[in-house]
Amino acid sequence: MTVYESDLPGVGKKHEIDLPDGSQLVVVTHNEGRREVFQRPTPDADSEKLFELPDDLARQVGTILEGAYFQPVESKSVETLLGGDTLLEWVEIDADSPVAGQTLGEADLRQETGASVVAIERGDAVMPSPGSDTTIEAGDTLVVVGSREAYKAFESQVIDGAESDDGPDGG
Amino acid sequence: MAAGLLELGELFVVLAVAGAVALRIGLSVIPLYVVGGMAAGPFVAGRLGVPYVPNGELLTVLAEVGIVLLLFFLGLEFSLDRLLASRSAITRAGVIDVAINLPLGIALGLALGWSVVEALLLGGIVYISSSAIVTKTLIDLGWIANEEAEPILGTLVFEDLFIAVYLAVVTSLVLGGGGGAGGLGGVARSLAIAFGFLGLLLVAVQYGTAFFARVLDVPETEAFVLRTLAVVVPVAGVALALGVSEAVAAFFVGMGFSTSGHRERIEQLLTPVRDVFAAVFFFWIGVGTDPLTLATVAVPLVAAVVLTTPAKVLSGYFGGQAYGLSERRSLRVGVGLVPRGEFSLVIAALAASGSTPVLQETIPALAVGYVLVMSGLGTVLMQRSDVVETIVGRIRPVDGASR
Repeated sequence: MTVYESDLPGVGKKHEIDLPDGSQLVVVTHNEGRREVFQRPTPDADSEKLFELPDDLARQVGTILEGAYFQPVESKSVETLLGGDTLLEWVEIDADSPVAGQTLGEADLRQETGASVVAIERGDAVMPSPGSDTTIEAGDTLVVVGSREAYKAFESQVIDGAESDDGPDGG
Repeated sequence: MAAGLLELGELFVVLAVAGAVALRIGLSVIPLYVVGGMAAGPFVAGRLGVPYVPNGELLTVLAEVGIVLLLFFLGLEFSLDRLLASRSAITRAGVIDVAINLPLGIALGLALGWSVVEALLLGGIVYISSSAIVTKTLIDLGWIANEEAEPILGTLVFEDLFIAVYLAVVTSLVLGGGGGAGGLGGVARSLAIAFGFLGLLLVAVQYGTAFFARVLDVPETEAFVLRTLAVVVPVAGVALALGVSEAVAAFFVGMGFSTSGHRERIEQLLTPVRDVFAAVFFFWIGVGTDPLTLATVAVPLVAAVVLTTPAKVLSGYFGGQAYGLSERRSLRVGVGLVPRGEFSLVIAALAASGSTPVLQETIPALAVGYVLVMSGLGTVLMQRSDVVETIVGRIRPVDGASR
């Protein structure tokens, strides 16, 4: 996927995204925040306006498109790219996870995988920066930061290997 | 006192009505504000014996603030980095634009038997496209998402920079007695003052980022707006008092503010202020224009329209080619640069402060007529660019016209 960015002096910025069907999506972001979205059927054709959104609505729709509201592909983790190759991920701990019941220190996940647990979500509560004596319980969601590779290692450590339908979860 | 307030009241009623008409018929507000001023001024309303808005000092000063804010915003949005980032394409398109259209206007002025300074002013009037009308029409028609948007907006950026230098020079020529009285020495002296003052201002702007940033570092909206005006208006006033272009001074102050980190907030909060004063400026231009003198400039007006419309289309076409666009898109670039507006009128206002009859009467009347025609014609050509493409395609086959 290629995204072209260009300046529109006095107006804002333009992003052009190639779509699989050969058409292009054109997003014009105005300086005052409004977004206009166009489609260009072929590179030579005129752009046809699809819709426009004010700034706040555009951001909201953007989070839906991004998947932060709802994940269309069933997966055990939700990933967010922090920049570079660093991911921020949420991993749910099943009852049969090998680390369930262990403290973070016992599991020693950072040493073994390179990814660190920056928070634990338990029910409605969130424990930021959990210490090494914090126990991981079944049903916890671990918030993990690390490189893609470290995260993969982390995932295979904490998720029961018996689950083989884990393939398409983008990790 | 009461009379002045009543006149301002009439001004705002006329502007509001003109704005409503513009919205209804889908035309730019600029020509309608000018026509509104003409109708409410001494030459139409005055002759009809109804209360009219005189061309007094009050209106002139408010209009002057309009010019200052128009150029201030130009400087604010002007980015030297942007110009440098795509300098080869912008410069090529911009140089083609100025090399074709400015000499054409100068030649027309000389052919009319005018002096060099008078012809130079006409050159500027027919050269400079209207950023306001062009940008708005690009957005309205959805061209903003097409390839032609970059060369059109890039050419406007080049024109903005060129017009800043141009105004600095011609202001000295006009106010420095370029009409003959001051002679060459007077011109040289006023040019030296202009470039001395503007040079100092440019240095202040270059190294004054911290100052601009600190001045505007205030959370209250009201204080923010007042502080911005408290920098730009006095600087412009000092410039004009020295016989230097107040518009260019405002442009430089705008450039200074653009790097202060407050650019977006200024745009957000001062755009309505600028629009109000700019509307008063267009109104003032109309008030000073006698529709009957439009008739006396009919011949040069027709000549200017007939010559400069195709010339702008042609220069824009080459500009599009410089950006590597197809022939059809390049033609669109040309059509998109046809509208003339606010800056032609700023040059006309400068001419009106000159000393010869051509400067005081002919050029302002010609500029008003020219802007009225070109703002409308340019917008219509853009809306019906398919017809233009067909016509040009018939004269000369354009690749892609059948696609």
